[in-house]
Amino acid sequence: MQVMEETSVNIIEALKGDIDSIALKLRGFIRDQVTGFKKKGVIIGVSGGIDSAVALTLCVQELGKENVYGLLLPEEESAPSSKTLGAEVCESLDVSYEEVPISPILRSLNIYDQKEQIIKRTCPEYDPDIHKTSLVLPDFLNQGLLNVPYIRLIKDGETAARHRLRANDYLELIGLQNVKQRSRMIVQYMYAEKLNYAVCGTTNKTELALGQFVKYGDGGVDLEPLADCYKVQVYAMGKLLNVNEEIIKRPPSADTWSHYTTDEEFYWRMPIQIMDQLLYAQEHQLPLKVIEKNTGLSADTIEKAWRHINRIRDSTEYVRATPPVCYINR
Amino acid sequence: MEQIKNDIVDYLKANSFMDNSSSLTDNDSLTQNGIIDSIGLLELMDYICEKYSIEIPEDMLTPENFDSLQGITNMITRLAK
Repeated sequence: MQVMEETSVNIIEALKGDIDSIALKLRGFIRDQVTGFKKKGVIIGVSGGIDSAVALTLCVQELGKENVYGLLLPEEESAPSSKTLGAEVCESLDVSYEEVPISPILRSLNIYDQKEQIIKRTCPEYDPDIHKTSLVLPDFLNQGLLNVPYIRLIKDGETAARHRLRANDYLELIGLQNVKQRSRMIVQYMYAEKLNYAVCGTTNKTELALGQFVKYGDGGVDLEPLADCYKVQVYAMGKLLNVNEEIIKRPPSADTWSHYTTDEEFYWRMPIQIMDQLLYAQEHQLPLKVIEKNTGLSADTIEKAWRHINRIRDSTEYVRATPPVCYINR
Repeated sequence: MEQIKNDIVDYLKANSFMDNSSSLTDNDSLTQNGIIDSIGLLELMDYICEKYSIEIPEDMLTPENFDSLQGITNMITRLAK
């Protein structure tokens, strides 16, 4: 951990500073890793979001477009814009890409039907013909409520009902949902091995800190160039790299629910600029007064938010952990 | 009130959240003492709703109402009236 003495630090400016040299460093990292693994290029799952757009652009700049292959991996509940924007970013970089829908894999495992059964027993009024669905957590900063997941039914763009999930249903639902990211991982490796490429991940530092990725799903990759860049830094890099403005403006989402559910609604429970400032301040041990000034939050709210973040960090340790090995000769 | 506290402690012990030999004071933090995590909290909520036949409104899902035996007991007492 680094300790910063300055009391006048502007956290957002500090985060966005020096983006050019960070981009260069990431490019060097990509080359070193691909060369080190003796691979010929990289596969990237392109989701239409900012992280994959930035990772793809950096890979193309460093390795050349002919050594990068994009995969669009939509499923039944993906937003149509994910595919459109993913294709646009590949085309703008002149990268070869292919669409491989993962819905057949999910259907073969009965994922959609099982998910629907959980939603039906949680929300008696659920009608798949009229409702879209979403998994949400209560807002943290304004309400200070616990991390309790709710299924939200949406009709004509408005919330029609919210029901708390029972623990068993929540666990089952997460297991079903995570098959989506894990199916994408399988497809990416199928292509990577065919082409003798490495799989490039797109997880950023905010997601890594909060365990906001699926173990052996989107976390199942060969290199993670963005994993030491907070989300705010990824956005700054997106601007530097001239990523499509529509992608930059699009609210981030895992895009696994029929109603487009943002990461703010399910993971961060606060705006990303606040979350990243809190994480950065924690990492650099900034004085409370500096954090109050930067975030506009009271000392009490900051303390509560840190406890909340620390709980998430602790409870997701398992997600970040590699399988422990028992070394018999040590 | 004491019966509710005993029920909660029995539940925590029976479900391996606490050792049988451990004890809890009324105001000990269940999260800061590592007794329950986020999934444990959901399981505890399910237990409380079923045991006392209550529904917990969303605005009562606060750390104050769930982080200690006293908080949980006060909340159940209010909702079971």
